[in-house]
Amino acid sequence: MKKKTFIGIAVTITLLSLTWVLLTPVLLPVNRGGSEVTAPHEGFFAPNFTLETPQAETIKLSELRRQPVLVFLWASWCSVCKATMPGLQAVYEDYAQRGFEILAVNLTFQDTLSTAQAYFQSQGFTYPMLIDEDGSVAALYQIHALPTSVLIGPDGKIIDVVIGSGMREGFLRVELNDILSAKEE
Amino acid sequence: MFPVIDIGPFAIQAAGLILILSLWIGIWLMGMFSNALRTNTEKIESSLLVGLIAGIISARLGFLLQNPTIFLENPLTLFSLTPSMLNVSFGLLVGFLTMLIYAQKWHLPFLPTMDACTPIIILLFAGFHLAQFANGDGYGLPTDLPWGISLWNQIRHPTQIYALILALTLFIGLLVLTKGLKETHSLKSGILFLWVMTGLALTTIFTRSFVKDKTLIAGIDPLQVIGIFILVSSLFIIYHKIYKENYPISIMISLGSNKNPIENLSNAVSKLEDAYRIRRQSSLYKTQNVINNSDSDVFCNQVIEIETNQLYPHLRENLKSIECEFGREKENKQQIPIDLDILTYGQDVFIHNGKHIPHPNLIKYHYITEPLAEIAPDFRHPGTGKTIGEISSEITNDPQVFEKINEVKNGNKR
Repeated sequence: MKKKTFIGIAVTITLLSLTWVLLTPVLLPVNRGGSEVTAPHEGFFAPNFTLETPQAETIKLSELRRQPVLVFLWASWCSVCKATMPGLQAVYEDYAQRGFEILAVNLTFQDTLSTAQAYFQSQGFTYPMLIDEDGSVAALYQIHALPTSVLIGPDGKIIDVVIGSGMREGFLRVELNDILSAKEE
Repeated sequence: MFPVIDIGPFAIQAAGLILILSLWIGIWLMGMFSNALRTNTEKIESSLLVGLIAGIISARLGFLLQNPTIFLENPLTLFSLTPSMLNVSFGLLVGFLTMLIYAQKWHLPFLPTMDACTPIIILLFAGFHLAQFANGDGYGLPTDLPWGISLWNQIRHPTQIYALILALTLFIGLLVLTKGLKETHSLKSGILFLWVMTGLALTTIFTRSFVKDKTLIAGIDPLQVIGIFILVSSLFIIYHKIYKENYPISIMISLGSNKNPIENLSNAVSKLEDAYRIRRQSSLYKTQNVINNSDSDVFCNQVIEIETNQLYPHLRENLKSIECEFGREKENKQQIPIDLDILTYGQDVFIHNGKHIPHPNLIKYHYITEPLAEIAPDFRHPGTGKTIGEISSEITNDPQVFEKINEVKNGNKR
């Protein structure tokens, strides 16, 4: 390739790229619509749901705005779920006064209610257990594996979705400290 | 989306699996390319491995140092296999530094090594975007275009797929350009690497505009700015290497003859002296013919270092014509009046028309390493970074049948 041809091509590519980058905010603005879209993914508003506890108490997710919420989807046959839940209880005991809420959504359509309830009570968990009888919440949160933990910030936006055993006690404490200190500032 | 792959009782995080697979394929392709280039495959693999391990460990350590309470409460979290407790940027930093330190320790030449690693770089880039696709990260802006995908409750630009397709196109381009990783196309080390960086920078600059999942600084995506920076610097270095580096280059040439060897070698050297500046010249070494070990075929060999800014193809043509002048016939492998081989061309590593530079014989025969060690005891192989001593000691099947004869004006000629 001739020297001049190379310089010509290189300068053209660079100028085109610069123009593209500078025009992006005009041509493809990030905030164009869809900012109120809900989706079960980090950065989106958490899809709303209304479920009942075994004691027939109704809980609506959207009423829990202004406080951090952990939606924990589980089943009694899932050993990883059962290994994770005592850790959540310990965190709940420490952070409930500061507004932290845990919703343990049982995938009842894949579970036996009596077994699940018996396990939940035997462990003495104090956060509410919710019954997803028709799998609508599991569908809403596009559940692929159990457990799935969805941490929602006070603004109703999802902070983190952890599939599997990752929602450890220590990890949750770190995330909550970040959320609560940002909120209390 | 398929964030989890269920295999019997195991649910494997698809993103992690994709990253590991792309790294594995990348390392395999790097091995092929590195073997073709004759760079130090074994040591490159080792530094990658050490860097990878150091990176993973320090990603976890970095997270725990940031949040020491977790570790104090339960020291076993250090070893937990969950991917959530990682400080990725710290891990990357330590991983790359470790790789650099090991590459330095083993004297891996930077640019040829980067050329050999180009398949890994592209594969990891492609794998990263495929992993994002699996996780639903890096999702695009809403669109009405027919190829939009339904993701997170909207029809969106499949941005991860744009990046993946462009990266794979770049890889196919690399395969075509290098004729299946068998040619380097360029006569300079590092050019392939720089072209790949240019391509990946353009891909990033283009596709990031369609991404919604990003943090802007002053309305601009910082990754695009980094892309522009890499683009401009890569193009500038390519320009500089191809059009500006025009200073005299040191070239090692091996001379051999078995027909009036002493006379022919001395004539050949004076022929070369007419055209080039000779920096160093070794003694003559008497050896047996390496093809058929008959006593009658005594070879004489010599290595000289010349200096020129002639490009490799011209230099090679010139040497060929000198060989012809001495009556070298291609068919006659028994009687060789003069044989001139380019051993090294500066510090560059390339494959031109199937010819490897540095010359493959450089690591095969004592009749080359001995005279080379004589004139350049500090010589290092431009591809592998091995010293002349190491190269020589690794030659095992070539019997040392030397007799150093007539100490010609040893060392600096002028």
